[in-house]
Amino acid sequence: MDLTPRPETISPKRRRWMPIIVLSLVGIGGVIVVTQFLSSAIDYYCNVDEVGVRSGCDTANRLRVQGTVEQGSLAKSDNTTEFKLVFNGKSLDVVYSGDPGGVFQECISVVAHGRLVNGVLESNRIEVKHSNEYEAKNKDRLENSGSAACSQVQG
Amino acid sequence: MKASQVNTGVSLKMSQSSQKFSSTGTQATRVIGVLAIVVMAWVVISGLVFTPADVVQGESVRIMYVHVPSAWIAYLAFIVTAIASSFYIFAKRHSLGFDRVAGASAEVGVMFMAITLITGSLWGRLTWGEFWQWDPRLTTTAFLFVTYIGYLAVRRLDGSIEQRARRSGVIALLAVLEIPLVHFSVVFWRSLHQRATILDPNGDVKMDGLMLFTLFSGVVAFTLVFAWLVLHRQRTMLLSDLSNERGLDNAILARQSENASN
Amino acid sequence: MQNAGFIFASYVLTIGAILLFAVVTLRRAKESAKLVEDKNKPWI
Repeated sequence: MDLTPRPETISPKRRRWMPIIVLSLVGIGGVIVVTQFLSSAIDYYCNVDEVGVRSGCDTANRLRVQGTVEQGSLAKSDNTTEFKLVFNGKSLDVVYSGDPGGVFQECISVVAHGRLVNGVLESNRIEVKHSNEYEAKNKDRLENSGSAACSQVQG
Repeated sequence: MKASQVNTGVSLKMSQSSQKFSSTGTQATRVIGVLAIVVMAWVVISGLVFTPADVVQGESVRIMYVHVPSAWIAYLAFIVTAIASSFYIFAKRHSLGFDRVAGASAEVGVMFMAITLITGSLWGRLTWGEFWQWDPRLTTTAFLFVTYIGYLAVRRLDGSIEQRARRSGVIALLAVLEIPLVHFSVVFWRSLHQRATILDPNGDVKMDGLMLFTLFSGVVAFTLVFAWLVLHRQRTMLLSDLSNERGLDNAILARQSENASN
Repeated sequence: MQNAGFIFASYVLTIGAILLFAVVTLRRAKESAKLVEDKNKPWI
């Protein structure tokens, strides 16, 4: 049985650095492709003012539209919830079949999934997009006249 | 050939009764362990009882005190893995101690990442209304999680300890590049996930005082837990590396005595 | 408390996962510590 140690392979310094340099270049390239060229494919939603304008926000397709529920526009009936979604000066009427529940309220940012029919977004799914602000409930302050979210600046 | 010629630095002699067999605990790990339990207890009590409900999210904000620290410590763990791996790869003396720290840290990181994903989906169900969405932040986080599971799988491939260290070290240096992608995914793309509150680029932290203090306590508690787990885990790894090596040496010796008797 | 189930579940899962990891590590440590002499344990 031969138990003599194998001769050590000589690794020049350049060889040790090459993979790291190549990998870093691949990494940087990947980040550029992903952030610069793929953004419309990866973006989760279209803003209200981009519907029918931006590529990927075509009115013929099913859309995910982001905006803020306008104060005073929320109207709930037995089976539907209607409200206006506003963003960047544009607004869009939304009809949602059912009650979104959860923390859904006026002044909050939401993403509504649905199709545009005669200029109205018929939505069957609503996701609430909470902000990065956290504030205590029941603090010593005047009661808000409307929804709690209206007192927060929307991000 | 004599047994002493196959010297691997580990004594091959069977243990004698006079020898002590201490486990992986030391004074330092015991102190870290006790501190971790105390701070963790405070986080649980404060998170569930003392902190107020959020004005918009209500009670569900309490999930934040475990979700956010576990995400951050998972990042920290993967960064430690990358640093330890680079010490192994680039230092002249390829010390396997760094490889074991890298491996132990990655294991703990994967656990924290799993906690992040699970608590995040519970929180998401309460606020967004969905357990899971293929949105940029969630997708990149899932990708990071799977990458490090792959890293751990590579560490279990057949081969010597040095091979394990080299292969996994290169992967660790690559995989850590995903962390900025995950962290800034909410900036690069439109995401359902909120943007950073604490690491806000404008330094404008919009969070109530006790909420913020509890969140930081959570980060401290999870960091202590991380340190405790990594210390124990990398020592355990050394023990199993040594006993595996000894098993190999014993096998060689057995083969030699076979040859000698023939 | 509203949504108590979800909130408690997240705390229980978090602490449970950490405890499980700790227990498994300590048990493994105890087993393999018997196979290695103390002079080979650099932390002693």
